[in-house]
Amino acid sequence: MFKRTLAWIDQRFPLTHFVKDTAEYGTPRNLSYWWNFGSLAGVVLVLQLVTGIFLAMHYKADIATAFDSIQHIMRDVNYGWLLRYMHSTGASAFFAIIYIHMARTLFYGSYRAPRELLWWTGQGLLLLLMATAFMGYLLPWGQMSYWGAAVITNLFRATPFFGEQVVHWLRGDFQVGDATLTRFYALHFLFPFIIVGAVLVHLIALHTVKSSNPSGLELKQKDIIPFHPYFTIKDLVGVGAYLMVFSVFVFFVPNTLIEAANNIPANPMQTPAHIVPEWYFLPFYAILRSVPDLAGGVVAMGLSVLIFAALPYLDRSRISGGAVYRPVYRAMFFVFLVNMVVLGYVGAVPPTDRTIIIGQVATLVYFGTFLFLPFVSKKEEAFLIKRGLPPAVMDSLK
Amino acid sequence: MKKHFLLPLLLSMFSSFALANEAELVLDQTKIPTDKASVLRGAEQVATVCGACHGLKYIQYRNLLELGVPKETVDAWRGDKPLNTAMQPQMAPADAQAAFGVVPPDLSLMAIAREGREHYLYSYLMGYKANEKGEIENRIFTVTKMPDILGISGAADDKQREEIGAKAKDITAFLNWAADPHGEDRKNLGIYVMIYLFIMTILLILWKKQIWRKVDEMGPV
Repeated sequence: MFKRTLAWIDQRFPLTHFVKDTAEYGTPRNLSYWWNFGSLAGVVLVLQLVTGIFLAMHYKADIATAFDSIQHIMRDVNYGWLLRYMHSTGASAFFAIIYIHMARTLFYGSYRAPRELLWWTGQGLLLLLMATAFMGYLLPWGQMSYWGAAVITNLFRATPFFGEQVVHWLRGDFQVGDATLTRFYALHFLFPFIIVGAVLVHLIALHTVKSSNPSGLELKQKDIIPFHPYFTIKDLVGVGAYLMVFSVFVFFVPNTLIEAANNIPANPMQTPAHIVPEWYFLPFYAILRSVPDLAGGVVAMGLSVLIFAALPYLDRSRISGGAVYRPVYRAMFFVFLVNMVVLGYVGAVPPTDRTIIIGQVATLVYFGTFLFLPFVSKKEEAFLIKRGLPPAVMDSLK
Repeated sequence: MKKHFLLPLLLSMFSSFALANEAELVLDQTKIPTDKASVLRGAEQVATVCGACHGLKYIQYRNLLELGVPKETVDAWRGDKPLNTAMQPQMAPADAQAAFGVVPPDLSLMAIAREGREHYLYSYLMGYKANEKGEIENRIFTVTKMPDILGISGAADDKQREEIGAKAKDITAFLNWAADPHGEDRKNLGIYVMIYLFIMTILLILWKKQIWRKVDEMGPV
């Protein structure tokens, strides 16, 4: 019966073909646990979608009732607090996972040919994620929600010629208000589904170029194993470990990720003493503030996110395996990470003379890493070839 | 070359951090109790003392019953108001505005709505002191319009200070509950979730080892 049904479907839809293709997807057997974060991002996306839809059943996108409706969810809806804390913690978790996923790509040079499109679709996903998170943050209609949205939409004033109009167009009003809240809500609901679509594109690109691996070399056929059961179970181990970390935040310290000021309803007449974005935007916010000119700051901030797309061309070394065989690239990678933390700190504190200087130095280091990469990677390649590399790596250069 | 200014950068980062901390308010980090008795004593303080001016719009009288306040006590507090009315201030907001120059804020979320959270609240309640001119000031929130209701600025000795401190702790404990009424359920459920996930993850690791046995025997690539 089952076989006949399946045959009937397969004649009309490539179901068996699709399942077989996915299960047998050839995967390098030497992938480390750093390769778990892609599937984890998928798990978090699903959790955000599910909790988000249930939250949407109780949330009111109206400035008169939005704040109260969140409290209604937290207090009166059965397990509403769980939905809300999973969703608010999930936003942070999503960024943490994506940043680790990106750091892994940088460390192992997984962005290089032929994986440019895989990398760029990932970039697009990051931008969509940022937009979704930003709009979602307005919905609780707390003080930080309101002022965060006011500050960020105001940045579009830097648009040449039409600055004022663009800001009003985004807000739907002269100020952040009811029109802004309802449109952010509508888009916050829509964007995750666009993300799901973009994830499919990302996965199709992945299945075309196949997964990279820690050695960076083309593996022999015997070292390629089917995705199922090997990586389904390995990804599940990752999901288990992830859910434990996630649950510590959700059940024991869910408020650490919610600004105190956001427990005060939005008040357009009263600016909070210190407006800070969520932690995942802090480094970019620091870059924005490090440039004294508004337009310059906005351009620098935009560039700081988009510049990753240029990496396949900036990294001119042909040596495989990203940082594995490349000491200079490895040093740059770790300096870049530390620099990110410095920028995050600068973005979090109120600006003083000292933090402004630190922020400007860190911004220079940030862009300097990208600007020097073509030169450094070429020099490093020549040096390493002269000094000698493992035979397999040398062979891959021929 | 890049590594060379990393260390000074990190050092200056931490020293500026220390400076920033000195300039900020030093909050009293006294541990706020979480036991039921303290929360219930705090409920009484809030309903009978704070309630004169402040409301708790997200707490209804029935919630106090759920918390464990005796029925007769809740009935005395609510008067003829139904059980599912929110706790309103006894003084009309307009009268309070006239008397103090500001509408007293709602207390439902007060324990989590200020930087420092419960410690801010406790430090604020305990922060009143007479200055040189003999005026009562609050060191935490200098422009506050609220009088020193607990009387900490006039405490005669340590014993009295301690009694007032205990009251402030109870109030803070109750407002912690009011800000997050499901907090206890959440933590209790969290323990079971953690145990479940821990066992599940161990089993998944074992299962993974079993599936990968043949591949692991192949050694490195």
